[in-house]
Amino acid sequence: MNKARKKSILRKMIIYIISIFVLSVIVFGMAKLSPGDPLVSYYGDRAERMNDEERAHAYERLGLNEPVYVQYALWIRNALQGDFGISFKYKKPVQDIVIARVGNTLLLGGIGFFLIFTLALMLAMFCVLHEGRVIDRIICRVGTITSCIPEFWLALVLIMIFAVNLKILPASGAYDIGQSDNVISRMSHMILPLIVVVTGHLWYYSYMLRNRLLEETVKDYVLLYEASGLSRRQIVFRHCVRNIMPTYISIMAISISHIVAGTYIVEMVFSYPGIGTLAFESARYHDYNMLMYICIITGAVVIFGNIAGQAVSEMIDPRMREQVKVVEQDD
Amino acid sequence: MTDKADNIEVKKINRSYGYRSDRFPVVSVLLLAMIAVGCIFCGIFSNHDPFYMNLDSVNVAPNSTFWFGTDTLGRDIYSMILNGGRISLFIGITASAISAVIALVYGSLSAVAPEWVDEIMMRFTEILLSVPSILLIIFVQAVAGSDNVISIAVVIGFTSWMSMAKIVRTEVRQIRSEEYVIAARAMGGSFFHNLRWHYIPNSLPSILFMIIMNVRGAIVAEATLSFVGLGLPIEIISWGSMLSLAEKAVMSNSWWIVFIPGIFLIVTIVCITEISNFLVQKTK
Repeated sequence: MNKARKKSILRKMIIYIISIFVLSVIVFGMAKLSPGDPLVSYYGDRAERMNDEERAHAYERLGLNEPVYVQYALWIRNALQGDFGISFKYKKPVQDIVIARVGNTLLLGGIGFFLIFTLALMLAMFCVLHEGRVIDRIICRVGTITSCIPEFWLALVLIMIFAVNLKILPASGAYDIGQSDNVISRMSHMILPLIVVVTGHLWYYSYMLRNRLLEETVKDYVLLYEASGLSRRQIVFRHCVRNIMPTYISIMAISISHIVAGTYIVEMVFSYPGIGTLAFESARYHDYNMLMYICIITGAVVIFGNIAGQAVSEMIDPRMREQVKVVEQDD
Repeated sequence: MTDKADNIEVKKINRSYGYRSDRFPVVSVLLLAMIAVGCIFCGIFSNHDPFYMNLDSVNVAPNSTFWFGTDTLGRDIYSMILNGGRISLFIGITASAISAVIALVYGSLSAVAPEWVDEIMMRFTEILLSVPSILLIIFVQAVAGSDNVISIAVVIGFTSWMSMAKIVRTEVRQIRSEEYVIAARAMGGSFFHNLRWHYIPNSLPSILFMIIMNVRGAIVAEATLSFVGLGLPIEIISWGSMLSLAEKAVMSNSWWIVFIPGIFLIVTIVCITEISNFLVQKTK
C-alpha cells in the first residue's frame, strides 16, 4: 500500500465521518420540527401522568429548555455513547429493538442484492449476444413493464395467488412461530419477498449494463478479436465483461439506496420482522427516536457502500480516480 | 480494411441503444391522454357517485351495473378510478413541479457559487440521497403530520429534487462560462436574471425526462404511502387510498379490488416511462 492510496483512504474516512455527522444534524433538525409534546416522544404515556415538578425536571434532564444546538449537543453525546433514546411504541431503547431485527433485513436485502446483480449481468450479456433480435426486444419490453409495477402491488398479487388461493407459501412473517433457526421455514417465508425485490429492480440495472456492454462491443479491440477469429460469445464473456467491471461496481454502489427502499416496502407488505416494517410502524405511531435511528443507520450503510464502491472501482481501474462517471437516474 | 471500417461505422449509427428507435410513443401518449381526459371529466364518464357507500352491494364482483365491481365499503370502483385518478395525477404533477423548481434554483446556485460552497451544496444532496427515498418521505410525512392532498404533494416534492439538482448543476456549470452569459453578467444581470433567461431555459431540456420520471415517482410514492396508511385517508379517493383496502380484499379473494386500480396505476406508469424514454433518446 503506497502513500497515495493511504491518503485517499484517509480522505474517504474523513468524508464518511463528516457525512454521517451532517446526516445526524439534518435528521435531528427534522425531528425537532415535529408537532406535539417532546416529552411524549421520549417517555411515552408516562409523560401524561407527570406532575408539573416532574415535567420541569424532565425538561431539565433532556435539556429541552436549552437552545436547539445545545439540545443537539446533548443528543449526540448520548448517541455516541450508544443511547439513542427510548422507543415511544416499544418502551425500550431503540437500538435494542433495531439490533434484534437487523439480521432479518440484512438477510433479505443481501440475498436480494446478490440475486439482482447476478441476474442483471446474465440478462445483460444475453441481450447483448442477441442484440436487436426478437428475443432481445421481448426482454426489453417485458423488462420495462416489470420495472413499472409498484412493489407493494406486486406483493399483494403474489400473496393473493400463492398464499390465499394456492396456499403453498406463507403470506407474512420471516419464520413460523418458534422456528427462527429452521432454514426451510425461513426460506419458504423469503421466496415471495425476494421475488418482489428482484423484479422491482432487476430490469433497471440490467438495462444500464446492457447499454454499457453494447457501447463496449463497438470498440476497436473487439474488431481485432473478431478478425483473429474469436466468436462473439468469447469476446463478450472474456473481454467486454471484464472492461465494464468498474461501471458494474459503481452501479452496485448507487443502487444500494434504491434496493434498501424496495426492501423496506416489501417488508412492510409481508409484515416481515425487519427494519422496514419497523420504520413504517414508527412513522405511524410518531415514534421519532426510532425513525431518527433508522434513518441514521440506513444512511450510514448507504454512504459506506457508496464510498466502498468508489474505492473498489479506483483499485480496479486507476482512470476512475479522476472522476467517477455513472449515469445516475432516480427511479 | 476500409470496407470493414465502413461497416463498423454503419453498425454504430444503426445501433439502437434503446430497443425502440426514436419513434414517437403514439400508443402511450394516446392511452395517457385517454386516462387523463377520463379523470379530469370524471363527472361525465362515471356512472355512480364514487363517494356513496352502498351497503346493499358490498364487495360485488364486476357486473353490468358496477362495471369494475364495488369495494369493501360498497363504493363503485369504476367511478372511483376516474375520480381518484384526478388526485393521483394532480399529486404527481404538483410534486414533480415543486421538485423541478427546487432543483433548478438549487442546482444553478450551486453551479455559480464559489468552489467550496458548491462542494458543500453537492455533498448535502449526496447525504440526502443516501437516505432511501421512501424512508425520507415517511419521516417528513410523519413530522408534517397532515394528510391532505396538497401537503402530500409538497412532502413528495421536497424529498425528490436531489438527483435533478445534480444534473442542473452540471448543465449550468457549462452554460455559465458561455459568452452570452458572461455578456449578461457584464451588463449587470443578477443571478436571478440569468436564472430566468439563461440557466432555466438551457438546462430544462436535459432534465425534462427526469421531471416526467418524477411524476411517475410521485404517483407511486403517494400510492405506497396511502397503501400503508400514512398518506391519504380512505375518504379521499386516490389510486393509492383505493389500494389501501386491497389488503383486506386479498384475504376475501376479491381480485377486482386489487387488480383493477393496480392495472390503471401500472398502465399510467408504463405510459409515462415510455414518454420519458423517448425524451431521453431525443436529447442524446
